[in-house]
Amino acid sequence: MKNFQEEKITPDQLREKIKSFYKEDEWHFITINGTDTGKSIEVKYFFAKYGKKEPVYALSLEIDYDQTLPSITDLIPSAWIAEEELYDLLGVKVEKAKGGIFLEPDSPKAPLRKSFQPKEK
Amino acid sequence: MGKKFVVPFGSQHVALPEPIRFVFTTENEIIRNVAVDFGYVHRGIEKACMSKFKYTQVPYVVARVCGLCSISHASGYCLAIETLMDIEVPKRAVYLRIIAHELDRIHSHLFAVSHLCEVAGYENLFMRVMRDRELVMECLEIFTGNRVQYDFVTIGGVNRDLTKEVYEELKPRLEELEKRLLQLKEIFEKDYTLQMRWKGAGVITKEMAQKYNAVGPIARASGLATDCRVEFGYFPYEELGYRMVLYHEGDIWARNMVRVDESLVSIEIAKNAMDNLPEGEINVRVRGNPNGEALVRWEAPRGELLYYVKGNGKPVLERLRIKTPTFSVIPVMKELYYNQPYALVPDITISFDPCLSCTAR
Repeated sequence: MKNFQEEKITPDQLREKIKSFYKEDEWHFITINGTDTGKSIEVKYFFAKYGKKEPVYALSLEIDYDQTLPSITDLIPSAWIAEEELYDLLGVKVEKAKGGIFLEPDSPKAPLRKSFQPKEK
Repeated sequence: MGKKFVVPFGSQHVALPEPIRFVFTTENEIIRNVAVDFGYVHRGIEKACMSKFKYTQVPYVVARVCGLCSISHASGYCLAIETLMDIEVPKRAVYLRIIAHELDRIHSHLFAVSHLCEVAGYENLFMRVMRDRELVMECLEIFTGNRVQYDFVTIGGVNRDLTKEVYEELKPRLEELEKRLLQLKEIFEKDYTLQMRWKGAGVITKEMAQKYNAVGPIARASGLATDCRVEFGYFPYEELGYRMVLYHEGDIWARNMVRVDESLVSIEIAKNAMDNLPEGEINVRVRGNPNGEALVRWEAPRGELLYYVKGNGKPVLERLRIKTPTFSVIPVMKELYYNQPYALVPDITISFDPCLSCTAR
């Protein structure tokens, strides 16, 4: 049973949508999650209200493997870490993300992509 | 204007229990810039849970994400799967999970408190806190059967009941621990040296905590009232004497005091749960495979832990996402270093109780 409230948007709408509701003293930004669906990357931005027993609110969008995602770090400064993780672990190009924080330079690239299969020892 | 020096801190440093690297640019020993790197030990646990292990094996895999909060990882995951598959866990099992979870919080908090004493140069107080922590370690071993990796929680309930004999072993230990924690609290409130070192140092204001989305004891030490036990409401904590610990100073001292006070609250919750344990089964059988998506916000000892699961009707999950508390506090930690004296770096860092094992899961 799905237990969070989800709103589907396009990558172009992301920044305007966040600007329209996000207030630092009201909303807690949880993180960004990426999932490789096999055809594209599904990206969800999770938020929760401080002190309220309300379902988590998720903004959900899909991007192609080679598409660039707009950064939200000027709107939510702590989001840089989630954007860097999306870049390193799923190979999602995010504006401003440099990569190399979650993985070392000699690590496999984008290990959470479906195309990546770990080597058997 | 002084000459600028670049000072690396980590990835191996005497004050650090795990590998994280900060590169500080200092001017007259004041930090003017900082870069951070923490990808030294990425273990690929999420990938393993989406490729090698069945969803029923995953609780025992995710418990290995962290040695200090393994109960939180297993519980967060199990709750997410139970939500997704609409499994009703028996109330006795819920209470048993609460006991294990709160005991885990105490030992994690006391580890952080002791480590903070150590980096402040207070070796004997470090030893004393670690000695007192042994009481809760004994409780966990008697209750779950293991000292560190408990494997106590499973999908549908728990693996072990609380017998009368175990109750009689736990109760006096918790009462003794409560007495010792009250003595420790008095030391932290009155000790001149610690107050000189920690009060007013490394201050995170409430506004800063909100701006950088701080979680757990870090947020609550800055007056930001956030706790997943209240906001996500996954367990009936209100029945068991839960109260939120809030400090407003936002300094190293407040972060330490939140952990001491929360340990006392956890003892009360654990004792109440043991005294009011409902009768009934401790687990239910689970059938089928997960299909759909669900998430859980879990209050681990260090703060908000997120488990997001997505199943596609097969035994292996399509996506498992673990967002750990340290992941959430690194942005505010990085910001806090600016304009602090370099001498405070060990105390500030350890006051966050960072867990890189969790972050590089």
